[in-house]
Amino acid sequence: MKRAFAAMLLAVLCLPLAGCGVQSALPEGRELENMALIRTLGVDEAEEGVMVTAASAQQSGGEQPALVYSHTAGTVSAACLAMQSRGSAYLFYGHVGELLSGEELAAAGLEEALGYVERDIEMRLDTKFYVVRGGKASDAIAALSASGESAAERLEAMAEDAGLMAASMPRTVGELLADTARCGATFAPALTLTGEEGDCDLAADGYALLKDSALIGFAEGGAALGVNLLLGRVEADVVECPTEGGTAALRVVGAQTKISPTFENGVLTGLTVQCAVDASVAQGPENLDLEHSPEKQKSLETALAQTERERIVAALTLLQTLDADCLDLCRRAGMSAPWRWAALQDQWGEAFSTLPMRVEVTASIRRGYDVK
Amino acid sequence: MKLLRPQTDGIPPHPRQEPRVDGPLTVDTLRRVFADCVDFAVREADLAGDPEKRVTMCYIGGMVKLERASEYILRPLAQDSTLRDAPPEEAWRKMAGGALYNLMVEQRTTADQAALDIINGNLILFFPGAPAVLSFYMATEDKRGVSAPDNEPSSKGARDAFVENLRSNTSLVRRHLRAPELKIREKIVGRQSLTPVDILWLDNIADPDLVRRVEERVAAIDIDALLSTGNLEEYLVDAASTAFPLVLYTERPDRFCAGLAQGRVGILAEGLPLGYLCPGTAGEFIRAPQDKSNNWMIASVLTLLRCLCIFGTLLLPAVYIAMVNFHQEMIPTRLALSIIAAKRDVPFTTVFEVLLMLAAFEILQEAGLRLPPSIGQTVSIIGGLVVGTAAVEAKIVSPAVLIVVAAAGIAGYTMPSQEFAAALRLWRFLLAVLAGWAGLFGVVVGAAVLILRLARLESFGVAYLTPFSAGGQSGLDGALRLPLPWVKLRQAGLHTKNRRNQA
Repeated sequence: MKRAFAAMLLAVLCLPLAGCGVQSALPEGRELENMALIRTLGVDEAEEGVMVTAASAQQSGGEQPALVYSHTAGTVSAACLAMQSRGSAYLFYGHVGELLSGEELAAAGLEEALGYVERDIEMRLDTKFYVVRGGKASDAIAALSASGESAAERLEAMAEDAGLMAASMPRTVGELLADTARCGATFAPALTLTGEEGDCDLAADGYALLKDSALIGFAEGGAALGVNLLLGRVEADVVECPTEGGTAALRVVGAQTKISPTFENGVLTGLTVQCAVDASVAQGPENLDLEHSPEKQKSLETALAQTERERIVAALTLLQTLDADCLDLCRRAGMSAPWRWAALQDQWGEAFSTLPMRVEVTASIRRGYDVK
Repeated sequence: MKLLRPQTDGIPPHPRQEPRVDGPLTVDTLRRVFADCVDFAVREADLAGDPEKRVTMCYIGGMVKLERASEYILRPLAQDSTLRDAPPEEAWRKMAGGALYNLMVEQRTTADQAALDIINGNLILFFPGAPAVLSFYMATEDKRGVSAPDNEPSSKGARDAFVENLRSNTSLVRRHLRAPELKIREKIVGRQSLTPVDILWLDNIADPDLVRRVEERVAAIDIDALLSTGNLEEYLVDAASTAFPLVLYTERPDRFCAGLAQGRVGILAEGLPLGYLCPGTAGEFIRAPQDKSNNWMIASVLTLLRCLCIFGTLLLPAVYIAMVNFHQEMIPTRLALSIIAAKRDVPFTTVFEVLLMLAAFEILQEAGLRLPPSIGQTVSIIGGLVVGTAAVEAKIVSPAVLIVVAAAGIAGYTMPSQEFAAALRLWRFLLAVLAGWAGLFGVVVGAAVLILRLARLESFGVAYLTPFSAGGQSGLDGALRLPLPWVKLRQAGLHTKNRRNQA
């Protein structure tokens, strides 16, 4: 007992050696009910530095609207700290689920905003990141809050529906930081404000392409869908293909993409993208009977493959034009030919923008749902 | 810390008086010893009506079965003419040899022995000129019949339970374990109560060192009276240093005998309707008696659930305090919002709220236990439902705290041993306070201290955390109830003479 007591006393005496002061050795407690849980954070460029907009969840179990605070300061941390003086509640950033950036700030560089999330003890790396295209994050948050809905709820709903809408996929700050550290470029979903003032809404609008943490362009429309196909993350997408007697709506339910490099005499000479798309017939003309008309099925599959190929090509062309490997194609190509990894790494940076791309898409319609 | 040490200063010596009764073995000596005892009786009788040959019988009324004494002792004395006609030595030899009808007869030569026999329900017979007295065992058999256990109900198994009579209990054990290797050694505990305490073990299995330790412990008990379980339990082990039980008790003979067959040493005491098993280890306290009657998969799942419940009952309130006060980021967002909404108008801090509810829970439980079952149940319902609901509606406590404390309490009730559950409840308070002081850091420190304390504990030389930590067995054996045909070895920690328990 004496030895145990002596050991405990020694451990307590050694505590200051850990570099912690008496005050900071123990965590600081705060009552949860005295907190306002910030759910959405918006960061915009401002003359003095950055303007940070913070929106809480709806208060009192949804009976009261969400709190929205805004402050401009030299850094995100300073702005967040300054906002603590607003209201009686302690603003707690540990539940921030969505981080929005205005287009201007994204174009100027997101190092500081992403770095704040990375370093702050309350913020989480699994915070979802969005770029507000053609607008400011503060406007988007204010518009949603004014409509009575909390920004967080709307963005969470959008993230859940992203796969179904095939418009964009959510990306976390952690993923963005990891991509940037690995290949210097990445992508994030883009949002756009729609509707009139007072009745605004946010809509997914493709992807913002980032290089060295700065916005360099947007992938929209077919190119955005091509990004999904290249990453093999297609949960549902409807492609309309003309067929005999009308138009068939094909629901794309999955895609598997393989990217492999081509070398000649040790020189990287091209990239082959092979994509296998699975689809089902969602809707079609009355006479669409795939079970007894293999030619019709073949024709639809060819049309679908052509459409998807165009999307992939559009995405690849955009990336090459911007000279940014935002989808980490180098690593994926290296995984299919690991013995070429060193050569691929050496040559990728210079060769990527002019690298010939061969895109092969095969489509299969698994279920025709023929009416007997 | 000084409060927890035994008081030694200023305590006068406490020597035993040996023998307790001085003087020659005479009727007068016994009259002196039992002076002012209204139940002490002396009866003189003539041998077959011969006033020259008069015998004297001493006994205590109520302790001796009078019908048997009259029928089997007094009647032969009064009617058997061979006793009257025989020379005194021959008559004495005949009485000791069977002329008086009793199976248990002893010759006593000292007043001390005779006095103790009288107290135990013997009838002492003085014969003029004889070198000793005859002591006939004629105790009354007023005792409770063997009934079903109250606290350890058995749905599939034997339904007998120990009673207050020691011999009945040893006979119950003998009926379950018919091996002649079952040894029963008796010690007398209590200077005033002179309570017989029996130590039972299977000679071919139990570790002799364990038997010796238990015997030494029982022999060392020098108290006034052994009247309650605490009188025995606290002297068997160094109980002052821990709240966790170090000996296992059961009121079921089948469980007691299973313990003996495992290599444990049992203790039975006169007046206590339960048996103790030594050593008591943590693995045994989370096992219910009916586990062996259940399918092994069901029993294993239930045992695992009990293990989870240990963590639940210990840590739930503490982790709740830590999360709500210090680590709000750990709480899922929607749950955090619900807690905020529910707690908004509650005037107390979370720590106070939880400690208040934990204390209220204990008070309710104590009130329920001290009242007759029907009223106790009503009090529990009123306390739990009515007062709880009213407290939530009045915003005195938040529903989340009520749920957490209730869940922790219910998790504690899954423990088969209420002593073990009580110790967990004590640590639950401590961990809650630590959580209020330093969040998860405090909880981890408290949990580490608890584990260290448990790891340091031993019961009769066996590590308390057996089988979770003792060598030769994996913790899985403790947490699972493997199919019985697979379990061919007794616990390594018990150091039994023969580890194999089946072919």
